[in-house]
Amino acid sequence: MVNLIKNEWMKIFKRPGTYVMIAILIVIISIFGIFHKYQERQFNLDKNWEQTLHQENVALKKQMEQSNSKLEKQYYKEEIAINDYRIKHHLPFNEKYNVWSFVKDASQLIILAGLFTIIISAGIVASEFNWGTIKLLLIRPINRSKILASKYLTVLLFALLMLAILFAFSAVLGAILFGTPDHPVPYLKYANGQVTEQNIIVYLMIYYGLSSIDTIMLATMAFMISTVFRNSSLAIGLSLFLLFTGSQFTLLLSRFSWAKYILFANTNLMQYVDGTPMMEGMSMSFSVIMLLVYYVIFQLLAFLVFKKRDVAA
Amino acid sequence: METIVELKNVTKVIKGRTIIDNISFQVNKGEVFGFLGPNGAGKTTTIRMIVGLIGITSGDITVGGSSIKSNFEDAVRHIGAIVENPEMYKFLTGYQNLIHYARMSKGISKEKIAETVELVGLTDRIHDKVKTYSLGMRQRLGLAQCLLHDPQVLILDEPTNGLDPAGIREIRDYVRLLAREKNLAVIVSSHLLSEMEMMCDRIGIIQNGRLIDVQLVHELVHGESKMTYEMEVVPSDKALTLLGTHYPNVRAHRSRNGITVELPKEEIPNLVKIFVSEDIQVFAIKEVAKTLEDRFLELTTEKGAPSRG
Repeated sequence: MVNLIKNEWMKIFKRPGTYVMIAILIVIISIFGIFHKYQERQFNLDKNWEQTLHQENVALKKQMEQSNSKLEKQYYKEEIAINDYRIKHHLPFNEKYNVWSFVKDASQLIILAGLFTIIISAGIVASEFNWGTIKLLLIRPINRSKILASKYLTVLLFALLMLAILFAFSAVLGAILFGTPDHPVPYLKYANGQVTEQNIIVYLMIYYGLSSIDTIMLATMAFMISTVFRNSSLAIGLSLFLLFTGSQFTLLLSRFSWAKYILFANTNLMQYVDGTPMMEGMSMSFSVIMLLVYYVIFQLLAFLVFKKRDVAA
Repeated sequence: METIVELKNVTKVIKGRTIIDNISFQVNKGEVFGFLGPNGAGKTTTIRMIVGLIGITSGDITVGGSSIKSNFEDAVRHIGAIVENPEMYKFLTGYQNLIHYARMSKGISKEKIAETVELVGLTDRIHDKVKTYSLGMRQRLGLAQCLLHDPQVLILDEPTNGLDPAGIREIRDYVRLLAREKNLAVIVSSHLLSEMEMMCDRIGIIQNGRLIDVQLVHELVHGESKMTYEMEVVPSDKALTLLGTHYPNVRAHRSRNGITVELPKEEIPNLVKIFVSEDIQVFAIKEVAKTLEDRFLELTTEKGAPSRG
């Protein structure tokens, strides 16, 4: 299996296109960083920040009483709890914009990493058919499932590499442009009615991981389309279209109760960590189950078709 | 002779159409087996079934005793193949291509790769990208690729397609060498008859998905007890009428220099005696070997035509 993945990795990295992708990613992170540097405002710490938070809490409480939505109430309750925690532990909320803020903002570029992963994923099976090399690949003493599995794992590794580049490069660039904070800033997390502190790097890694779920799901879908239809353009086109528009469509459809079964309603798991779910009746476990169902369907389709296929072309 | 590849009642149906109809044959170690047939007869489909690229509807194929259907990995281990053109990764070097395939079989050392490269004569260019290779070089790289794991069966589908005469000859010599010295079984498919005649020991003729004949090449060409003789005789008209009276059942016709007649060898002296006594001048008698082409056309029209309707 390791050898098969080495092979796939070699085939990806002996093509110049891959380096172009990495270069584009790095250039865009840089532009993103410079853009943020320009926008950086003069920073003054609000001397009366505790006062401000108190006022905010009073306002939030009022809103909470007026609100009818259960979801909104939950949201206000969390905000108030976090504000209280800040006051109690002397943690001012408006920290100076620093490297970690930048790394968090750079997570918007995960969509770019996703785009490149989808391109690789859509080509990894279809290209073998286009090149005709599939014939020589499938007459080795290795069964087809293993070959397909090695290709899929390679796609995941590639996604991981792209995310790692994004994370590492934005951290380095952020440290240069915005500096590191003088003292470690914990992330405040509200869970089970309690506020806890979490290491910012661990938090950001989880944040990146959860933000990449739609990317991974779409890469898996592209992989399936590429395997079933042997057509990389179709796989790239459809997956990218959904990557860029999927969440908007789901938002439009969110007034229907069945919308919660749409893949994109469930890909954003951050909604359960950071905020409130987009629809009632949704929970972390519901979304995870939905994601698993989609995932299994994609994989089953890809593997069954690939195993049964007559290679005639 | 030890059988290494065996097809048993192999049938392939695609969308209700029978592409391959109940084919059975065996290939032995050390022999070159030719697979001959017009375009679309089912040569490539059969070959792809042997290497497991295409599923088998019914029947079975065993390679080295293992079924390609139920025991794919063990069966395909014995096979090295080029299916149509050897498509390699053009953006990799020849060497990287070989590394790629070497990783997919067990126990292929760097030395073995170097040895194989040497064998096909690509040592000078092996570290160049494949896209800079000529067709002949790609074909040789294809050969290197299928010889890496010391297979017992070599399968070449249309190996001489698009090669120049020198390239064709190279492949042919190479195939014969491998069969003789390494005791490999070689299965070659082609629609080029002259090619097959020079390369193969045994030939299976396939038409419309049916195996209509399997014969040794020299039997196929010299097969029948009746031979064809060309006789340079003057006057040929008289000779023909004489033939008609003495051998009423013999096929004979006028040819460029005299007459052509199909006759058992032992009848020749008799015929000459008759000709001489009737004052016919006999200048020459020549045995005409039928070419594979004649036999092929004969076979495919005799046995193939009725089944078509």
